[in-house]
Amino acid sequence: MDTPTRRATSSIDPSLLTSIVKGDQQAFSQLYDHSSTLLYTLAFRILGNREEADELLQDVYLEVWRKVARYDIGRGTPIAWLITLTRSRAIDRLRARTTRGRQVTSPLDATVSSRVADLGPSPFETQADQELRMAVGTAMTSLPPAQQQAIELAYYEGLSHNEIAARLNQPLGTVKTRIKLGMSKLRESLRHCWEQGDLG
Amino acid sequence: MTHEELEEAVPLYATGALDRAERQALEAHLLSGCQSCHNALKEYQSVASLLPFGLTPMQAPRALKAKIMGARNLDPLAIDSTVKEPLRPSLEPGEWLNHLFPPIVPARSFSLPWAIGFATLLIVGLGGYLAWTYSVELSEDASKIRQLEGSLLEQTTKVASLQREMNTRDRVLAEMQVDAQRKTNDAIELKGQLMEREVELETARAELSAALRGKIPQDELAGLLRRPDAKVVTLAGADVAKQASAVLLYNPITQKVWLYSAHLPECPRGTAYQLWAIDQTPVSVGTFHMDAGDTAHLLVKRLPDFEKAKKFAVSLEPAGGRPRPSGPIYLIGQAS
Repeated sequence: MDTPTRRATSSIDPSLLTSIVKGDQQAFSQLYDHSSTLLYTLAFRILGNREEADELLQDVYLEVWRKVARYDIGRGTPIAWLITLTRSRAIDRLRARTTRGRQVTSPLDATVSSRVADLGPSPFETQADQELRMAVGTAMTSLPPAQQQAIELAYYEGLSHNEIAARLNQPLGTVKTRIKLGMSKLRESLRHCWEQGDLG
Repeated sequence: MTHEELEEAVPLYATGALDRAERQALEAHLLSGCQSCHNALKEYQSVASLLPFGLTPMQAPRALKAKIMGARNLDPLAIDSTVKEPLRPSLEPGEWLNHLFPPIVPARSFSLPWAIGFATLLIVGLGGYLAWTYSVELSEDASKIRQLEGSLLEQTTKVASLQREMNTRDRVLAEMQVDAQRKTNDAIELKGQLMEREVELETARAELSAALRGKIPQDELAGLLRRPDAKVVTLAGADVAKQASAVLLYNPITQKVWLYSAHLPECPRGTAYQLWAIDQTPVSVGTFHMDAGDTAHLLVKRLPDFEKAKKFAVSLEPAGGRPRPSGPIYLIGQAS
């Protein structure tokens, strides 16, 4: 999966999913190789531990294998679909864990860790993925920390604006504004990414 | 909510920050066909999908792939049973709304004006969603039914083939049973015949034995010796043959006398010994011959008047015997 010839995670060929629908195991293996690092990273970011991230990724890929026929290219790229699915299932787990009263990762610590994310090259990604990571990382770090924090609390911890306001002890309107402004800036700074066909 | 308020809610929606009621309101608005909000949402969804790319990559454990590939190769039903379904699944792959929109968030507050304002749109939206979902599931079900029908036809053909084979085997088995029954009857008949032959053989043996008994003196002599009413007369050697002796036995049933003589001298040529039963006058019982080398002789003769005789004697007479004793006496005994 870390071979230099592999396809970029951001540009997975939709025909892979078409092959998987027909039961092509090789295609499923390739899909895993192209996407597992990003999905595992996302799962770990949301859940905060490797064991649960392992379990989640297993659930997600098995669900993909079983229900890949429901994917429709007209509604998004393969990786967007996989990200949405992984985030959704991870947030479900996070809420179930919270319901059981388990310790939740500190949002402030998580936010800080995201803000100081390493922007250097990684052996697990292609050149295209590396460039995309640099672009997104730069865009995120260019946001005011309060906006970045509000977006991350919503996206990675599944909190509503009311919950974020309560967590940060800020007015609801302020939180809404931070998210709106932050997302608006990201849309402008990252527009080239999906206009190039990587995502969208 | 005004359109402006709904439009401002789009980026919050993309990050999953809306409460349930707000989210439902926006979804209803989108389903109503607002293209500008739809386009905005598509862009904000793309931004949201890019966010994970900004994280520092973390490689999944190497063993995880093998585990997933292995679990995927299990029976489809088994996979379904092993996969841990979320407590509250919020997304099904390919479903338009859940794909486009983030997971369901529990309602933290529910504003009455929102509910009243968007209730109708919500119902219409949900109805459309349910109809779409139902049509997708219906299509899948129809495909499954076709597969099941094909499988059923195949199984039915197999069952018919097996049924034919079983019928053939039943026929062969029935024929074998008839054949076995016929052979069993033959065996029973042969056994009966064999038993008849055995009875016949036994009867023949008994008859043969009875016939042989009459011709074998030893058997009759043995029977005589066992009879308590048998008469015995001992004969001693006379002066001309002092070493000679004889025993005379009489069977009152058969009225036969048995003379067993021993150590009588050899008969000269033209002579024979003659046994006499003596009452008032001697009566000839029979003659016998002693050849050279003979040491004993057994003479058996019928003698109905045995009881009348007082003495028994053996004399040497010309061959063929004489009506009255004419030669020397060799043996003589007194009847008891």
